[in-house]
Amino acid sequence: MSSWQERKAPTVNAKTNDEATRVRRFTPLQRFFHGGLLAAFIVQGATGLGRMSVETGWGKGLCRLFGGYESALVLHKIVGILMIAGFLIHMVYLLVVIDWRRFPRMLLGPDSLVPSPRDARQFFEHLGWFFGVRPHPEFDRWGYWEKFDYWAVFWGMVILGISGLLLAFPVASSRMVPGWGLNVALWVHRIEALLAMAHVFIIHFFVAHVRRHSFPMDRAMFEGTVDLESTRREKPAWLARLKEAGRFEERLATEAPPFVRAASYLFGFVAMAAGIALLVGAVINLPRITW
Amino acid sequence: MTGSGKRVLACLVVMAIMWILAAQARAQDEAASHLLRYRDREASTGYYEEYEVMPRHLRAFIEPRPGPADVVGYSPNAPTIRDRTRLADSHYGIRFYDRRRCETCHPEEARNLHTTRANLTCRQCHGGEPIPGSRYYYAPMNPIRRHAYICAKCHQGANASFATYRVHEPNPALLSTQATFPVLFWVFWIMIVIAAGTFLLFLPHTALWGIRELLAGKKGTHREREDQ
Ligand code: HEC
Ligand code: HEC
Ligand code: HEC
Repeated sequence: MSSWQERKAPTVNAKTNDEATRVRRFTPLQRFFHGGLLAAFIVQGATGLGRMSVETGWGKGLCRLFGGYESALVLHKIVGILMIAGFLIHMVYLLVVIDWRRFPRMLLGPDSLVPSPRDARQFFEHLGWFFGVRPHPEFDRWGYWEKFDYWAVFWGMVILGISGLLLAFPVASSRMVPGWGLNVALWVHRIEALLAMAHVFIIHFFVAHVRRHSFPMDRAMFEGTVDLESTRREKPAWLARLKEAGRFEERLATEAPPFVRAASYLFGFVAMAAGIALLVGAVINLPRITW
Repeated sequence: MTGSGKRVLACLVVMAIMWILAAQARAQDEAASHLLRYRDREASTGYYEEYEVMPRHLRAFIEPRPGPADVVGYSPNAPTIRDRTRLADSHYGIRFYDRRRCETCHPEEARNLHTTRANLTCRQCHGGEPIPGSRYYYAPMNPIRRHAYICAKCHQGANASFATYRVHEPNPALLSTQATFPVLFWVFWIMIVIAAGTFLLFLPHTALWGIRELLAGKKGTHREREDQ
């Protein structure tokens, strides 16, 4: 057992929230981008599903929320272009945060989101743990499911962004691609969007809200910190590495003030309710539309 | 040299300079190639070089197919007309045409986004009687002028490429689409396989994960390791 596990967090008074029971995990900028992506994702999902299923009462109602069938499309295009802008800014951000001195090697290091052979191994070890035949793998900073989520969004943005731009300006884009490319682009856009929504509204929500580790909500992306106790159990390799580099203390944080906690719960649960409402509505109504 | 001689010489020099310096404008070039020069004009008129055909890269489907077998039932001479797409009146000789709705005979064609979502009527695109076949030379629907006569009524600036958008899109899931619109068929199935693969992997994974954590309890999640 490494020494950090024995070490007691500086206890002051559990009642006044002054105990350093949390570890900082996301920077304010990262949380801002996650929040923006979250809001944009819900708006795109609602406007897109509303237009797609406008033949049904549910779709009409969704469109009405955004001012009708036509203005839902206007909003969809504006938010889509904002998302593309956000994606480009994220590219710049990546160029800035990459540690260029250790450039190609750090891509496979533990702080990188690039999948490495270790992720495949840990995936199977985790499966083994599900069936009780193996000890729990010691995850580092990013679990394989977190890396998958990142790259799913990354390529999803590329695919949806390109097909969306083609569809947003059909006459202009038919100068670059043949007009029948729009038939293809629409199907790509639809399937990718449905895949993304189903993944986020089922799997991502389950991982971040429902499973026991995070129930009722993993506040990491809203408050920026995670619970030290449960991180010690899930990601011991990360904490050990921080400890070794002497960065552990500076990452310790206390519980956020109650109103911040309340706000993040509110934000999280509203988003989750919206996502699940979209999911249920889509499951009921999509079989009834003309595709 | 006389004064007029000088003037003639000066004129010749100026003409020579003009001849050398004047760059050849694109418009002076007689050659037309859909890669370089009249591409826009070609794209908007549908006339490619000297041929009245679409360039190859605009062709996604294999056409035209003969009419469906049930045409036989409509008229005695229908079977002799194998291909109605070149008729001035595509319903020529078809009985019981009057006072019917287009959808009753063309249910598949009614399943398109322009009809179901934008509430267009068939005639807003296909025009009044008689409805010509789409390859009838003088038809507004003929691909050489479809973009200008049909699509541009609503889509300002539509060009011939835009008009190759398949309004009556075949169902991409069907095997028959592999023959008529292969790109759509393959892209559709590739996307479906990616989506299905993601869920086949992660749904059971996530469910098992949830069950395991539930059983292990919040504290004892990693009992095995802590016991060591
Ligand atoms: C009585 C049934 C019937 C009705 C009603 C009918 N059609 Fe047709 N139509 C046919 C048949 C049969 C054909 C020939 C088979 C084919 O080519 O698909 C045909 C052919 C066509 C074609 C030519 C297809 C081609 O290959 O270019 C067009 C366009 C068309 N119909 C449009 C319409 C429209 C628009 C309406 C409504 C105003 C309509 N039809 C109403 C039976 C009908
Ligand atoms: C947005 C314009 C538009 C509307 C609305 C429209 N069509 Fe068409 N239709 C076309 C075009 C373009 C073609 C030519 C397709 C081709 O060349 O292969 C076509 C072709 C057809 C054909 C020939 C067979 C085929 O599938 O290619 C039939 C039949 C037909 N339309 C029937 C209808 C009926 C019935 C309606 C109303 C429910 C309708 N169309 C509405 C644009 C339209
Ligand atoms: C009578 C008006 C009208 C005509 C004629 C017309 N369209 Fe459209 N088209 C519309 C409308 C309205 C929409 C928007 C539909 C929507 O919002 O769902 C649209 C949408 C489209 C789109 C975008 C579809 C998408 O998924 O984003 C394409 C592509 C298109 N039309 C192609 C054509 C082509 C090709 C023709 C000529 C054969 C044509 N249209 C003729 C009215 C028309």
